Formats: sequence, C-alpha cells, structure tokens
Amino acid sequence: SNYSVSLVGPAPWGFRLQGGKDFNVPLSISRLNDGGKAAQAHVGIGDVVLTIDGISTDGMTHLEAQNK
Amino acid sequence: LSQDDPLTNLNTAFDVAEKYLDIPKMLDAEDIVGTARPDEKAIMTYVSSFYHAFSGAQKAETAANRICKVLAVNQENEQLMEDYEKLASDLLEWIRRTIPWLENRAPENTMQAMQQKLEDFRDYRRLHKPPKVQEKCQLEINFNTLQTKLRLSNRPAFMPSEGKMVSDINNAWGGLEQAEKGYEEWLLNEIRRLERLDHLAEKFRQKASIHESWTDGKEAMLQQKDYETATLSEIKALLKKHEAFESDLAAHQDRVEQIAAIAQELNELDYYDSPSVNARCQKICDQWDNLGALTQKRREALERTEKLLETIDQLYLEYAKRAAPFNNWMEGAMEDLQDTFIVHTIEEIQGLTTAHEQFKATLPDADKERQAILGIHNEVSKIVQTYHVNMAGTNPYTTITPHEINGKWEHVRQLVPRRDQALMEEHARQQQNERLRKQFGAQANVIGPWIQTKMEEIGRISIEMHGTLEDQLNHLRQYEKSIVNYKPKIDQLEGDHQLIQEALIFDNKHTNYTMEHIRVGWEQLLTTIARTINEVENQILTRDAKGISQEQMNEFRASFNHFDRDHSGTLGPEEFKACLISLGYDIGNDAQGEAEFARIMSIVDPNRLGVVTFQAFIDFMSRETADTDTADQVMASFKILAGDKNYITVDELRRELPPDQAEYCIARMAPYNGRDAVPGALDYMSFSTALYGESDL
Repeated sequence: SNYSVSLVGPAPWGFRLQGGKDFNVPLSISRLNDGGKAAQAHVGIGDVVLTIDGISTDGMTHLEAQNK
Repeated sequence: LSQDDPLTNLNTAFDVAEKYLDIPKMLDAEDIVGTARPDEKAIMTYVSSFYHAFSGAQKAETAANRICKVLAVNQENEQLMEDYEKLASDLLEWIRRTIPWLENRAPENTMQAMQQKLEDFRDYRRLHKPPKVQEKCQLEINFNTLQTKLRLSNRPAFMPSEGKMVSDINNAWGGLEQAEKGYEEWLLNEIRRLERLDHLAEKFRQKASIHESWTDGKEAMLQQKDYETATLSEIKALLKKHEAFESDLAAHQDRVEQIAAIAQELNELDYYDSPSVNARCQKICDQWDNLGALTQKRREALERTEKLLETIDQLYLEYAKRAAPFNNWMEGAMEDLQDTFIVHTIEEIQGLTTAHEQFKATLPDADKERQAILGIHNEVSKIVQTYHVNMAGTNPYTTITPHEINGKWEHVRQLVPRRDQALMEEHARQQQNERLRKQFGAQANVIGPWIQTKMEEIGRISIEMHGTLEDQLNHLRQYEKSIVNYKPKIDQLEGDHQLIQEALIFDNKHTNYTMEHIRVGWEQLLTTIARTINEVENQILTRDAKGISQEQMNEFRASFNHFDRDHSGTLGPEEFKACLISLGYDIGNDAQGEAEFARIMSIVDPNRLGVVTFQAFIDFMSRETADTDTADQVMASFKILAGDKNYITVDELRRELPPDQAEYCIARMAPYNGRDAVPGALDYMSFSTALYGESDL
C-alpha cells in the first residue's frame, strides 16, 4: 500500500537512502535514526521510495534522487 | 200505247191497219175522241173490215198453219239436233280438255302449289263441273225429247254424228269421272307427301346444320400436331381431352344415322331437291368417316407419344438417381485429391499413400458407373431421334449434364497422377527430414553431454581448494581453449538445426536436446568459463589488493562451500544468512534484522541476481574483516583534497583532479548547506555515499 509523507525542513531527515538506477536496486529506506523526522513521520525501514516531490523515481540514479 | 192519250193510240191503230192490213182509214180519231157518242155504224163498218181482213186470212192461215206447223216441227227438230250436236261437241270438248288436266300427275314441288291445285279441283267440282253435269243432263233430256218428238212426228230417229253418240258421251263422261276420282286421291296423297317432305326436309336441314356446326373445326383439331411438342403431363391432359372427345363423337353417331335416315326417306318420298340433300348427306357421312379415322389416328399418336415420353421420363429419373450420387462422389474425390496435407512423419505420409492407392482401386468401378449413366442418357437421345419426340424439355429431375459428368471425370483422372506425384515428393521429403533428425540427434547427443561435463568440471575447478589461484586460472584457461575449439561443432549443429527448421521439422525423437538447450548450455558454458575465469582473476586481484593469503583464500573457500548446501557455486539468501549468523552477525527475524540483511544483500548482490557469488563473498568478508567503508574512504580522500573542510570548492576540484573527472564532480555534487558553508561550496560527503548507493539524509 502506498502512502505519502511530507517532511518539513531543514535536513537532516534521519534516514539512510539506498539504491538507484545505477545500482539496479530500487530506491529504498535502509536505516532510520531514532527520533528523526522520518521516524516521527512513521516511515518504515525497507519502504520503497516511489516519488520525490511528485516526480517518479523510475530511472533516477542515486545521486539524482539524493539531490532531489 | 199510252192510256192517257187515246188520240195518238187511235191514230197509230189507223196507221198500222192501213199499212199492214190494207184497211183504209174510215174514221177520224178526233171525231171519235171528240164526240161523246161516236158513230156506231161507221165504227162497226170499220171494225168489220178488220173481221173480213182477218177471216180471209184464216184459211190461208190454217193452211199456212199446217205448213208452218210441219215446218216448225222440222225446224224445231233441226234446231234440237243442232243444239244437241253443239252441246255434245262442247261437252265433249270440255271433257277432252278436262280429262288431261285431271290426269296430269305432274307433281308440284311445293305444298302451296299442290294446295292451289286442290283448290282448283275444288273449284272444278263446285263451280265448273256442276253446270257441265247439268249440260249433260240437258243433253240427255234433249236427246230423249228429240227422239220422242221425232217418233211422235213419224220422223226417223235421230242419229248423232260420229263420236257424238250417246254412248260416246257416256263413255267420255265415265272417263272423266274416273279421272276425277284418281285425281283427287292423287292430290291428297301428293299433299300428304309434300307435307311430310317439307317436314323432313326442314328436319334434315336443321339436323344437318347442327351437326355441321358441331363438326366445324373438328378435323383441324384432330389433325393438330400439338402432341409433338408436349411434355408428359401435357400429353396425359391431351389424352383425357381426347377421351372426352371420343365419347362425344360416339354420342353423335346416332345423330348422323338419323340424318342419313331422313335423307333416305326424302329420297324415297321423291323429294324434288334430293340431289342437294344427298350431296349434303354424303358430305356429312364422308366427313363422319373421316372424323372417325382421324380420331383413331390421333388416339394412336397420343398413346404412342405418351408411351415414349413415359419411357424417357423413367430414364431421366434413373439418370438423375444415379448421376447425383456419382457427381457427389466425384466432387468429394476432387476435393480429396486436391486436399492439402501436412505430415510430420513417414508413417503419416504412408497412411495417405495407402489411402490414395485404395482410392485408385475404386476407379475402374467408378468408370463403369459413369458409362452406365451416360448410357442412360444416350438411350434417351436415341429414342428422341428415332421417334422425333420433342426434346424441348431437359431432365426435370437434375441439372447435372453428361458434359458436366465427363468434365469432372476427366478432372479426377488428371488429379490422380498429380496426387501420386505430390505424395511421392512428400514421402521423399519426410525421409530427408528423418535423416536430418537423426543427424541432429546424433550430434546433439554428443554435444549436450559434453557441455554438461565441461560445466561440471568447471564448477568443480572453481570450488577446489588445492593449488594456487594461478593454477586454477591456467586450468580454466585450458578449458577455455578447448571450449573455443569446440565452437565449430556448435556451428555445425546450428547448421543442422537451420536445415531442420527450414524443413519445418518440429519434433525430434532421436534426442531430448533441443537447439535451444544446447545454445543455452553453450552460452552458459561460455559465460561460466568467462565468469569463473573472471572470478578467479578478481580473486587474485582481491587477494593481491587485500593481501589475502592463499590459506585465507582456502578458508574462505571452505566456508563458502560449507554453506553452499546445494553445491550451486553460489549462495542463496538463506545459505548466506546462515553464513552471516555463523559469523556473528545479528540478523534476527525482526524488521531490524531483515533491514540489515537487505542492506548486506544490496552490497554483495548489487545486480540483484538473488545469489551471492564467491567473489562477492570474498569482497564482503574481506571488507568486513578489514572494516573499511569504501564510501568513507572516498569521503576521506575528498577531505584531504578539500584541506580538511566539510566542503570542497570548484577551484580545488579543478586543481586536484583530472579535468573531465573534476567536471564530473562539479556537475553532480550538490551545494553544501552546512553552517560553515561559503558560496560555491560543494557537498562531497553525500556525493561519496551516493557513489555507493547509500546516502544518509
């Protein structure tokens, strides 16, 4: 089931982003910092990031996703 | 003399006496008249003159009287004789005239004329004869009187002249009366006859007319050749009509006989116009005979035609009954003979050939049937020609013509050898196919196992633990060479396979190996040998890079093999997990554990193959033991280049790195937003982690 999350800045958001097109691995959350903004927003470890700011992550490299 | 005029009377008397009696006038009339008492003496004297005149004459008169008397008797008798003669003459003349008239038996033609005659006779009897009877009577009386007078006067009897004697007259009269009797009878008979004749003649005319109007047109009708162009049902209708006509004809037979009888009677009764009656009657009778003959002829013609048409109809039906199934058979045969077939085995083509041979065996009988059917048609044609029957109609039971039958038969016959040819060619093709199959099968059965063996051997080599990596490498390189040398065989098999595919062969019972099997196996083999070589090379690199000794390498190998339960040469997720646990990794069955395992998997299996290769295993193991984070290493390197800052500038990148790599970094590095940021500062830390697919955000 898909869900949408809005994290209010500034960084850090408190999660580790893993994957990208260049690694042939979907962009996903591999670690959460306790009490971080992501953890507070109930993001889960292993969750796949489908869109960032409404833009699909299909074909994004890790760097592109990171910069978005 | 006039009573009122005595004067004149007296004068007249005195004149006459004077003139004829010679008595002179002694008196005067006026005196007498004028005086009341005339002179008696004078008158007596005058009157005595008269006495003397007359008495003197008396003697003479008596003498004269006697003479006169005698003479008168003679005169009278002569007169009577004359009268008699005349009367007799007249009478005889009348009788002479009348008798021929009474004897005339010339018949009149019309009743009217006869009735006129009868009326004439009646007139004769009532008007003309009675006076004559009277005349005869008178004649008789006169004769008798004359004879009496003559006798009385002592005269000789009267002798009438020749032919006028009483007997003659009586005879003649007798003849007359005889003629009369016959005449009247004759008249009545004639009238009766004429009456009958009129009646008969009218009857004849009427009957003849009626009959003639009935026969009018019948000859023409009977002579029609309508049956020549009639169909069977039309003929039957014509026959029915003819039957009706025949009975009608029979009914008219007695009418004709009646007419003839009337004509006969007319003849017997001497009809004045018998010739024309006879002519008409003859015409009628001749025509009657002719009608009878024509009727018979027409009946025969109709019956004959009916029979022929029935025969033809039967033949038509027979033809239709046989032509239809034969036609169907031919069409079926044509379809079968042209039936396209797909066969894939020799057995299949042989089956078709057998069926075809069986079909060919039926052809002679079929030809016989064809000829029989055509024979029926020919029979019909023969009948038509021989008897000139109308052939306007075609076979009502079928539309299949002999021409059509022959055409199709010819077609069938042409198709048979063609099919023979096609079957033969196919048979040859199937045999060829079988040869190809065998060839391919033989080859594949050699190549397949060979590949299999090589794979196993390479697998074994890759997991062996004795000898150096270099030894392994050499061994593998030898294998590589032998594999390369084997390629022609694969190519040859491909060639065989192409032939098989071009020949549309879809199965091959001579081998369980398909070309795809072989290809896949071959590619796998190539891939495997290359990968294995690469693995070993990488192992060598790793070993050299990380300074892993051969013994350590062997240990890694042992561990790996230990956890590679299914000996696949790779570790599946579960196998790897077990390995990690045994190495002390905390990978429980919770979310944290799963996440950690996922993280590790993403490192060792970045291409998501789902398996961990020995190389990856070594990488991981050596990395973990070396406890280096490659991302950190890169980050540390950037830090050095940035002069220990948390960010790096464009100039520094351009200064420290080769140009295109500097631009690469500049293009991709995000701006640094830390507290100590300056304009143009670039974040090399997130860039570094991103290089390894991880970013802490």
